[in-house]
Amino acid sequence: MKRNLLVMLFAAFCARSLSAAEAPTITVSKSDMIGIAVSPVSGADGAIVTKTVQTDLALSGYFAIVPAGSATFTVGGASNGGSLDGKVTDHGGRSVVASAYSGTAKSKAHAFADDIVRTLTGNKGFASGKIAFVATKSGRKEIYTADYDGSNVQQLTHDGNISVHPSLSADGRKLAYTGYKSGYADIYEIDLAGGARDRIAKYPGTNTGAAYSANGRIAATLSKDGNPELYVLGGGAHRLTHTPGVESSPTWSPDGGEIIYSYDEHGGPQLYRISSGGGSGQLLSTGHGYCTEPNWSPDGKKVAFNVREGGSFAVAVLDLQSGTTRTLTSGENPVWGADSRHILLAQGGALYLLDAQTGKRTKILDGLGKITEPTWSR
Amino acid sequence: MTTRFLKLVTFASAAVMLCSLNACSSFGKKKNGDSQYAGTDSDSVNGTPLADRQEGVSFTSSNVDRNKFRPVHFAFDSFAISSSEQPILDEVADYLKGGGGSVIVAGFTDERGTAEYNRGLGEKRALSVRQYLVQRGANAGKIQTVSFGAEMPVDSSSNESAWAKNRRAEFGVVR
Repeated sequence: MKRNLLVMLFAAFCARSLSAAEAPTITVSKSDMIGIAVSPVSGADGAIVTKTVQTDLALSGYFAIVPAGSATFTVGGASNGGSLDGKVTDHGGRSVVASAYSGTAKSKAHAFADDIVRTLTGNKGFASGKIAFVATKSGRKEIYTADYDGSNVQQLTHDGNISVHPSLSADGRKLAYTGYKSGYADIYEIDLAGGARDRIAKYPGTNTGAAYSANGRIAATLSKDGNPELYVLGGGAHRLTHTPGVESSPTWSPDGGEIIYSYDEHGGPQLYRISSGGGSGQLLSTGHGYCTEPNWSPDGKKVAFNVREGGSFAVAVLDLQSGTTRTLTSGENPVWGADSRHILLAQGGALYLLDAQTGKRTKILDGLGKITEPTWSR
Repeated sequence: MTTRFLKLVTFASAAVMLCSLNACSSFGKKKNGDSQYAGTDSDSVNGTPLADRQEGVSFTSSNVDRNKFRPVHFAFDSFAISSSEQPILDEVADYLKGGGGSVIVAGFTDERGTAEYNRGLGEKRALSVRQYLVQRGANAGKIQTVSFGAEMPVDSSSNESAWAKNRRAEFGVVR
């Protein structure tokens, strides 16, 4: 009996890994969308606020922008002197959102849009999140920041050598990146409000791949002990892995208890999962021979990563509950937004926003030379 | 009872057949996974910690000679030292053993991997070179490593011949 049980468990396990190749069909009909109207917001920067809220709501994936007459909800408000009074009413005229926001026209509008998404759908919005990326506009690789919609672009580093792999903290206040100012690859951390910069990992060898946990711990790849391995920084460097191959691109679970990363020993990198306290990495089966630069969704359910298809790259998502992997679109370096639904990715030197649920792709930014390696705060 | 048992046996053997197919198709990957747990031996070979960096000296600084030794090249997606490259490495090892100054080994990749993966692969290439030099008797304390990933290609075209030239490790000899 015990043996039968084992055979059945084994069979169930195999059936599960075999099903990993099937892609589920997803259909989203227009009727699932909430009809919303955006009436002009009054005031000095009202036009920018109106346009931004409308774009944010349309890109959220939950709303269809419709004329006021046929809308379930209507957005409006007044924006003056750095302050926005945002209002949303239902078709009966009852108030469902009435809040005040301060800041720039864009930041007020993004915060208002996220409140509308949260109130009307119960889901977290992504519009207030900051993004950062590498661009070559100056002739060198430097780090830039922007709003998720590609507005408000600012060049953050002016190092004039190679600055790569930016990683924003969850709250968007700090940014870590790999810089070659010293001639070696070191990890720097910038306080975005004040601009202060610290070199936080300058061990011998290469220091790269910084990734923030939700509460601000940093995991990275260091080679100081003679092999590229994963470490958690802070009070020295706590080593997580002990292997003959190359660990790279750690990404944290929402609770900070685990890390998913890419591991390569003989070519053909694969995804592994390990406790953030260290131990043995556990293979995550994806059905792909090249799996790199994983990014764990804020809801903890999915991992987006690069796969190689022919001569180019595609973005795939592994559902951690079902073990199913599906390929979503061409491009690379996928990172999740706060809603665990949208993905930012780079392709052909431009940035794209992808709705992982519907497959809708929107170009966010180009014209800064070659844009690569995006990151997105949550 | 007998029918149920037979059904179970049929189901089980079908499952075993499917599983062995599955196991065969992913044999390479499983092997990678297993070696994670047998890392101790490799650790004793690979795990010679790097010595502290020398202040004011790096692969790109002007006090380093980057032309003293020819670069060594690697196969696609590999950090293994091929026998054709060993004569160059033996020259470097002899230099270090003969009282030469420190050497910075810089690892590079072709453009075909993703960015961060390439940085890891480049560093592993530099460390493979270092390990070979140490095995040939060079002092580990005189060898630093750095990875530039796919940056600074020798040939920026996108073809096999350029890629082959770019998959390399270079030597920066501290003057």
